[in-house]
Amino acid sequence: MARQTLTRDLAISVDDLGVRFRRNRRGRRNIKDLFANASRRNRPGEFWALRGVSFDVRPGESIGVVGRNGQGKSTLLKLVAGVLLPDEGRVAVHGGVAPLIELTGGFVGDLTVRENVRLTAGLHGMAKSEVNRRFDSIIEFAELEKSIDTPYKHLSNGMKVRLAFSVVSQLEEPILLVDEVLAVGDKAFREKCYRRIDELLAEGRTLFFVSHNEKDLRRFCTRGLYLAHGRLALDASIEEVLDAYNADNPTSG
Amino acid sequence: MSETTVGAPGSARRYVHSLWLLSARDLKVRYATSALGYLWSVLDPLVMSIIYWFVFTQVFQRGAGEQPYILFLITALLPWVWFNICVSDFTRAFRKDAKLVRSTAIPRTIWVNRIVLSKGIEFLFSLPVLVLFAIFSPGAQVGWGLLLFPVAVLLQTVLLVGLGLIVAPLCVMWGDLERTTRLVLRAMFYATPIIYSIGDLPAPFDALAVFNPLAGVITLYRVGFFPGQWDTAAVAVAAAEAVVILLVGIWTFRRMERTVLKEL
Repeated sequence: MARQTLTRDLAISVDDLGVRFRRNRRGRRNIKDLFANASRRNRPGEFWALRGVSFDVRPGESIGVVGRNGQGKSTLLKLVAGVLLPDEGRVAVHGGVAPLIELTGGFVGDLTVRENVRLTAGLHGMAKSEVNRRFDSIIEFAELEKSIDTPYKHLSNGMKVRLAFSVVSQLEEPILLVDEVLAVGDKAFREKCYRRIDELLAEGRTLFFVSHNEKDLRRFCTRGLYLAHGRLALDASIEEVLDAYNADNPTSG
Repeated sequence: MSETTVGAPGSARRYVHSLWLLSARDLKVRYATSALGYLWSVLDPLVMSIIYWFVFTQVFQRGAGEQPYILFLITALLPWVWFNICVSDFTRAFRKDAKLVRSTAIPRTIWVNRIVLSKGIEFLFSLPVLVLFAIFSPGAQVGWGLLLFPVAVLLQTVLLVGLGLIVAPLCVMWGDLERTTRLVLRAMFYATPIIYSIGDLPAPFDALAVFNPLAGVITLYRVGFFPGQWDTAAVAVAAAEAVVILLVGIWTFRRMERTVLKEL
């Protein structure tokens, strides 16, 4: 009972989370996999990308996820976004999520910028009237006024990131997930994105931020999660987490 | 939240909203990108009907089916095209839009159901062709059995959703399955009473044909124009099989969902 009332006040609640991947893409699969009771069993050729991770996030907190490449940062973000399902444990997210997790942001190459905005915003739950109302400001923010009817695949990488950030940051969801995609944009646009994130944080949104950039992490985050070897090594203030990370990885800056 | 979002995540309203968005996009692409647009929905079954009509009435002496044979063909070929396109699209249901699947947390069954829905709408759009042939074929008649037509559509929908939930995730695991499915579909076409009726089959095969769920579905489509086609056993078996396939599909999909997401 007590646990129940407690979790309701949380934005994200992650409990003993684990997810497992195949080591080798060519690994044999057979029809037996379908029937085998797979939970809590170690199978050859598989490894735990993330295991035994538990933490709670209160609404309005801004969390930075720190760790070297391949330590499960993006996997954690995907599990919170619900685009990957855990093999053990559970993730409870209260309220919707605005995920900015892939460079592509889920856009379709053959459709135009206009169609993509309608489709993606719609798939994230935005009503049609709302998309219409916000369409101009989305395009304006992304600085793509001249490319509205250009197929998405013809945009430059920078333009793609701008569009993705623009759409996702317009979603009225209480939780914002940002993967390291912002590193791609140019400096001026990055500043603009950061101002937007500041605005969203000021409105009381919850931020879940994955980055290698120490400056960004210190700027936005109050709390840090340090992932090492698929486990949660440290859950503390962002300063402590960055200090621990730097102590473990002296060459990285 | 106010009206800025459509229902809560995971609600039925949000499901329908997302499903419709993707299906509408499919139709838009289909009708907007090609000059022939709408014609494509009817051209395929129409050309097939004319070929079979020519081969079986002009070249060979037809010993199967009913008169008017062209109407007999079209009543089965239109739903067959729906079935065929759906099942071959199931094999690519996740791969085709892998990026979208990887980045939007909509219920994963939508990737299957949007195929059934958008191709189903194309099927409904192609029905005027059937109406035209029913009116203008000499000797064609229409009976109360036509009321079973919507039942046939419903039964085929259940069957397709069930098959999709099985085929789509399995094809992500095993690439070979894509080609196997195409082969099975080709065999299915001749194993299904489309260019003939169940009654035309010789002794052991007519009993076997009853166990093909499509046989019952096509019976339901045809009975409005050809009351003699009614076959209680085939319809009952089809209904039972469709429900079983749907249940197996739901189970399979649940088992495979997490692995599918990892593989994409």
